[in-house]
Order: sequence, then structure tokens, then C-alpha cells
Amino acid sequence: MSGEARVTIRLEGVDKFFGGKTAGGANGGTLALKDISLELTEGEFVCLLGPSGCGKSTILNLIAGFDRPTSGEVLVNGTAVEKPTPERGMVFQQPTLFPWLTVIDNVTFGPRMLGVARCDYLPPARKYLRNMGLEGFENHYPWQLSGGMCQRVALARAWISSPGILLMDEPFGALDAQTRLMMQELLVNIWESARTTILFVTHDVDEALYLADRVLVMSARPGRIVRNFTVPGNRPRDIENLASDPSMMEIRRDVLRCVRDEVRKSMEHSTHDSVSV
Amino acid sequence: MTIWRRSAISILSVVSVLALWQLAGTLRWVDPLLLPAPSEVLQTAVFLAANGYQQVPLWQHIFVSVARALAAFFVAVLVGIPLGLLMGLNASLDAALDPFIQFLRPLPKIALIPLTVVWFGIGETSKFFLIFIACFLSVVVGASAAVLNVQRDRIRAAKLLGADRWQIFRFVIIPHTLPELFTSVRLSIGIGWTALIAAELVAATAGLGWMVLNAGNYLRTDIVILGILLLGIIGYALDLMLVLAQKHFVPWAGKDA
Ligand SMILES: Nc1ncnc2c1ncn2[C@@H]1O[C@H](COP(=O)(O)OP(=O)(O)OP(=O)(O)O)[C@@H](O)[C@H]1O
Ligand SMILES: [Mg+2]
Repeated sequence: MSGEARVTIRLEGVDKFFGGKTAGGANGGTLALKDISLELTEGEFVCLLGPSGCGKSTILNLIAGFDRPTSGEVLVNGTAVEKPTPERGMVFQQPTLFPWLTVIDNVTFGPRMLGVARCDYLPPARKYLRNMGLEGFENHYPWQLSGGMCQRVALARAWISSPGILLMDEPFGALDAQTRLMMQELLVNIWESARTTILFVTHDVDEALYLADRVLVMSARPGRIVRNFTVPGNRPRDIENLASDPSMMEIRRDVLRCVRDEVRKSMEHSTHDSVSV
Repeated sequence: MTIWRRSAISILSVVSVLALWQLAGTLRWVDPLLLPAPSEVLQTAVFLAANGYQQVPLWQHIFVSVARALAAFFVAVLVGIPLGLLMGLNASLDAALDPFIQFLRPLPKIALIPLTVVWFGIGETSKFFLIFIACFLSVVVGASAAVLNVQRDRIRAAKLLGADRWQIFRFVIIPHTLPELFTSVRLSIGIGWTALIAAELVAATAGLGWMVLNAGNYLRTDIVILGILLLGIIGYALDLMLVLAQKHFVPWAGKDA
């Protein structure tokens, strides 16, 4: 990485409180995030791990601009996030494609909304489809494709606006193991040429270790960032032998233990909750 | 089951019931006054087609009813869908109008007949109003519910891709709700066709609903049954047209990705 590592995403002391339905009631709301601070430098690939309900999606939503922090600051390239813009792309667990549009119309949705000329968006759209192995499916509808293909269309749709930041919320979580491996390789390949800053939420430690430069582990609710692991090893990484790679063994064990601890705490929390009710 | 097999079974079933019905008439199992045989109904149909019923040709009864129902139905759809969509998009508007709609919707429309007569007289206006109100309420409820079913993440994806509020409405919410809109329109044409009978209770002198009611007074069960068959067949045909339109215009209905 070059010397001047520019910060793209910065969260400073972010709390997020979701108000309950009964204002001021005992069960009045949820403190989803507590004092979150994190930084991503330009072109970095960071994975976010943590127990279910710890606030991973909430962090992505804050950075995307769908939601505001209760306190603290969410900065992208030095300015506070106000609303969603094409500068930040997002890929969800479900492909969220538009079933009334063909593959090519789905992929070019962004540029078409922005009024980009057809001759300017078609060539890159075709290029992305080719990179994603979707050549020949341009005129298919999403419901004629497999789940993995749909997620590739969603990836192409997000990437065609050349966002500086890509937020991914368990994008491969619904795919089978084989397809997931393929998608991970594909993602890394594209990321290596595009150098987009990626914040990627996952439950899968091996996925995180294959993809990321850094892995952040969050605590159970209210979510805090408890550990920051820097993943060693040069790229390109070998996806098949990663788990048995000696340089990875140690960190893999540490991350797993850290995540397990947090998941266990979150379980104890919830059983404790239900007992005390 | 293939569509052919299915159709074959359906046709066979209908033919058998008709045959049994005819047999019951021919062999005098039932009094023809209670249940005239299909052949008698057919004769009546031929006679009415030639001579009309109560000085009005049969085609005109049909035309009057279809015109009443369709006119009220189209206006209801034209007004109801935009209003329903607005209610789905705007929670305050929904809160303001919903109590009235929920009160009126399950109300049997026959109960409104005396009032409509007082308000609009016994002309076409009161009939139009009765059919309109029935269709309208069901379309509004269907349309506002359809908007609420739009997947949040899909709207978020569109926002991040740069779509503004209008574009999200036009290119995401509208196509997303279209399949459900079609379904609620289908439901409402059935409801409108039902309301037609109520409407033609209001001092009409023509129309299929009126013909059925009037013939009942004279114990002309053959005409009553003919009227019922015509009402049913026309209702079925209207529904079928909407189903075909739905298949053609919203092929993504029920297919999510
Ligand atoms: N809009 C909301 N209103 C109220 N509470 C919310 C809202 N969104 C999230 N929460 C709460 O905030 C907490 C964090 O939710 P979040 O979706 O960020 O978790 P997560 O880490 O993404 O979980 P998962 O791994 O299951 O996706 C949860 O307790 C959730 O119930
Ligand atoms: Mg989540």
C-alpha cells in the first residue's frame, strides 16, 4: 500500500439507540451500538464479525446514510454522511434485484437514474457482466437465474456506479458452500483491480480471513468493537489451502475464539433476559 | 397436471352436471317450476333474444348491466388506485382516511340503497354510486396494502444507485405493486358485479339484475335461471380478461429475486 493512506470511512464514538414503541416505558428501546470508533483507509478490505444482533447491519446503514447516529460522528472522506449517494454502494444478503427488469437493465439501473447516456453505460455494463461470467444472460430476467447468478448481477449493479465504498451485508450468506467460494474469489479479483474500499459483514471466519486485510470483531449488544486483527499473508491468497496454511492457523484460532466468546456472551445474555422476565 | 388434462376434467364435469340436470327435468324428477331443465332455459333464451323481456330486447338488458358495472368500475379504479398508493406512501393521509374506509368496506352496500335514492333519486346516478363505492373501497385498500409490501432493501438499493423520490416511486414502487394492483382490481370487479344486483334493486326498468328480480315476482324461474347464468358467465369472462392482462403486463408476478 502507498505511503499516504487516506482515511475513507471514520466512525467516532458512535452510539445508536433505537427508540421503543412505548416512549419512556421500561422496555423503551435498544442500545444497538455503544461508542463505536473505526477507520478504513482507501482501498482497504475490512470484515466485520460478531454475534447476531450486535449491530453489524446498523453500522452499514449508518455509513450508507439510511440512518443517523444517536451520538458521535460518521464521516466519509472527511464529511458527515447525510443521505445515501451513489458514492457508496451496497450489496445485501438478498440480491434485491428488480424482477421486472432484465439483467442488463438491472445492472444499468444506477446510470439510467442519473441520466447517463446509453453509449456511456452499456460498454462498462457488458464488461462487468463478462467479468461476472454472465455473458449471454443479458436479456434474462432475475427469476430465470440461480441465487449465485443473481448475487453476481447485484454485485455488477453496485459496482457499475464506481462507488468509492462498497458495503456488503452477508452478501454470500444465502449461497451454498461451492458457490460461495467462487463468489469470494470473484470479489477479490474485482476488488484487486478496482481498489474499492470494502466493509464486509459476515458470520464466516474463513470467509473473513480469505477476503480481508483486517478483521474487526464486535461484542454482543450493545455492540462495541472488541478486537482488531490484521490478517497476515500476501495476496493472492490460496482459497483452498487457507485453513491449513501455517501462517493463518494462529490468527484463525484467535479470531474463532474471540467470536465464540462473544457469541457465548450474547447467548448467556438472552437466556438471562428471559429468566429474569 | 397438464393444462389439457385439467381442462378436459373441468369440461367433463360441467357436461355431466348439465346432463344430470336435463335428465332431472325430462324425467320429471323435479317440478319444472322449481328447476326448469337446461333445454327450457335455452328455449327461453331464444325467445327472449327474439322478443325481449318486458318490452326490452335481451341484448339491451345485457348491455345496460355491463355498461353500468364497467363505467362505475373504471372510475373506481382510476380514482381508487392513485388514492390507495398515496395512502400507502403517506402515513398521515392513511391515518386520516382509514377509519372511514374500514367502516364502509364491510358494510353491506344494500343498506345504502335508501340513502342513495334520497340523495341521487332513482336514475342512473344512484346505481353508478352503489357499484362505484363497492369497487372503490376494495381498490383503495388493495393499493395501499400493496405499497406497504414493497421490500425495504429494494428501495434502499435504488436510493444508493442515485434514484430520487420520484424515480423510486415510478421505477420501483409502481412496478413492485403492479401484480398486487391487478389482483385487487380483479377482486373489485367481482365485488362490483355483485353490487350490480343491489344497484338494480333501485327501481330499474332494464338490466340483468332487474330482469332476474322482476321475473322472480312472476315465478318465471326459467328467466331467473337464464339471468343467473348470464350474470355468472359475464362475470367469469371479465375476470378471465383481467387474468390474461395480468399475465401479459406483469409476467414477474409472484416471482421474486
Ligand atoms: N429499525 C430498528 N428499530 C429498532 N431496533 C432495531 C432496528 N434495527 C435494528 N434494531 C436492533 O438493533 C440491534 C442490532 O441490529 P442489527 O440488525 O444491526 O444486528 P446485526 O448485527 O446485523 O445482526 P444479524 O447478524 O442477525 O444480521 C438488534 O437488537 C435489533 O433488534
Ligand atoms: Mg444484519
